Amino acid sequence: MEDSGRKRILIIEDDGHIAEGLKLNLSLQGYEADIAPDGVSGLRKWKTWQPHLLVLDIMLPGIDGFSILQSIRLEDERLPILILSARGSSEDRIQGLTYGVDDYLAKPFNLEEFLLRVERLLTRVSWAGVTGERGASGLHLLPKIYTFGGNRIDFSTSTAHVGSGKIALTEQEVKLLKLFISHRGRPLSRKQLLEIGWGYTGVVTTRTVDNFIVRLRRYFEKDPQKPVYFRSLRSVGYIFDHEE
Amino acid sequence: MVRHYNLDGNQFLEAKTWVVILVLSILVAIILAGTITIFAYSQRMARLNRLQHEFINNFTHELKTPVTSLKLYLETFLKHNLSREEQIKYIGYMILDIERLAENISRILDLARIETKTYRGDFVLSDLVQTVQQFHQDNRHLFRSCDIRVHNPSGQPFLYPVNQPLFDMLLMNILNNAIKYNDSEKPSMDILFLLQKKKLHIRFEDNGIGIEKAERGKIFRKFYRAGQTENLSAKGSGLGLYLVRNVAKMHKGNVTAGNRQDERGAVFTLILPLHHQKA
Repeated sequence: MEDSGRKRILIIEDDGHIAEGLKLNLSLQGYEADIAPDGVSGLRKWKTWQPHLLVLDIMLPGIDGFSILQSIRLEDERLPILILSARGSSEDRIQGLTYGVDDYLAKPFNLEEFLLRVERLLTRVSWAGVTGERGASGLHLLPKIYTFGGNRIDFSTSTAHVGSGKIALTEQEVKLLKLFISHRGRPLSRKQLLEIGWGYTGVVTTRTVDNFIVRLRRYFEKDPQKPVYFRSLRSVGYIFDHEE
Repeated sequence: MVRHYNLDGNQFLEAKTWVVILVLSILVAIILAGTITIFAYSQRMARLNRLQHEFINNFTHELKTPVTSLKLYLETFLKHNLSREEQIKYIGYMILDIERLAENISRILDLARIETKTYRGDFVLSDLVQTVQQFHQDNRHLFRSCDIRVHNPSGQPFLYPVNQPLFDMLLMNILNNAIKYNDSEKPSMDILFLLQKKKLHIRFEDNGIGIEKAERGKIFRKFYRAGQTENLSAKGSGLGLYLVRNVAKMHKGNVTAGNRQDERGAVFTLILPLHHQKA
């Protein structure tokens, strides 16, 4: 990751005027800013451009802001994210904070306040000094080792000890497992799984989800035909749960 | 008791049973009907409540977005010395934001006016063809991107009592939708005046994305917006066509929606009974 010294800020905002105004101000402030007008391109740009901070709108075409937030948090717990939304009620703020947002500003906002919050968020990250090693430490909400049934998942090494022995987990498997664990006991729809887990939108590839569940069951279920942990919910999706 | 009064127990009990059964079943029927009515009514109320809640959410968004943009640019102007070129560009944005805001405000005022029936102006006998042409002439600047043509094959004028402000509102909403729900390179709209069985049909044919069959009955409902409601991105107030239908009704007419047969596009038909002109 080459660094031009300037902090990169990604703006995911569908209103062209607001997005451009934000970019203008952030550039004048000395940051490098870029705009993504919808959720799918926002997630793609987050992966490829690796910004230091994310300014996120909630009401977006395609994947909405809360799903983007959850999707990013599965992989990167530390990236500072600031939500900028017309929805300013405490329910919305609480929902955002639950999903792991760092700051929440309601529209219309004060420009100076926005810029100061951005600066503050970036300063805090530079103290921690870990912007380079993203993903590796993205797990302070979940324990590094998670056990259920006879299975033990070690997220620090991306391995799992299951009934049939030790297996190495792919990045996507780790992501999906984190998503299920963080939603333990609550149903996840195929749409949610696709949007948060893969960053897809639309109905094209819900088969992808089903195939993936088959794989997880093969790993972790004693009898994959009669799953107890990764259960299907008719016309809803899937639910992950287990006894203590 | 039966033995005491020396009655024919069977007959007596049988009759009583029948009466009891009859009364009970009537009672049950009434209770059932009542329950169903209450249930249907509460369902309706719940739906309306949900739509109203959604409307407030959406409308808040529609109002806050231009305000946010305006505030952002004004604060930027205060903070920085921008070049003249940049200033002109951003002032252009601000003017567009103000237009958006003004449009939203007049939409909500229209709704209030229609619901309280406190609209201005009387119903004046006017030629509808001319009214439509005049409207197009007056608002040419708003529909620059759209090719609008008015056709009147019969050549005759259609006199009808029209409330000018309300009728303009109807035209404005139909034309706005034609442009909004349109992905053609050059949006176009043909307005046809046709006489069918003593009724005047004014057909508004566009070349947009059309209307799905399942949506046709619903799009005139208050707060209803076509497309997915769970989708947080859908924009609009859900009021435009509700206003259109109400204005049509106030003119003793009706409006229907469908798709064009000849090519892609939606068609809205305003149907007005022509015998009114003699009254």
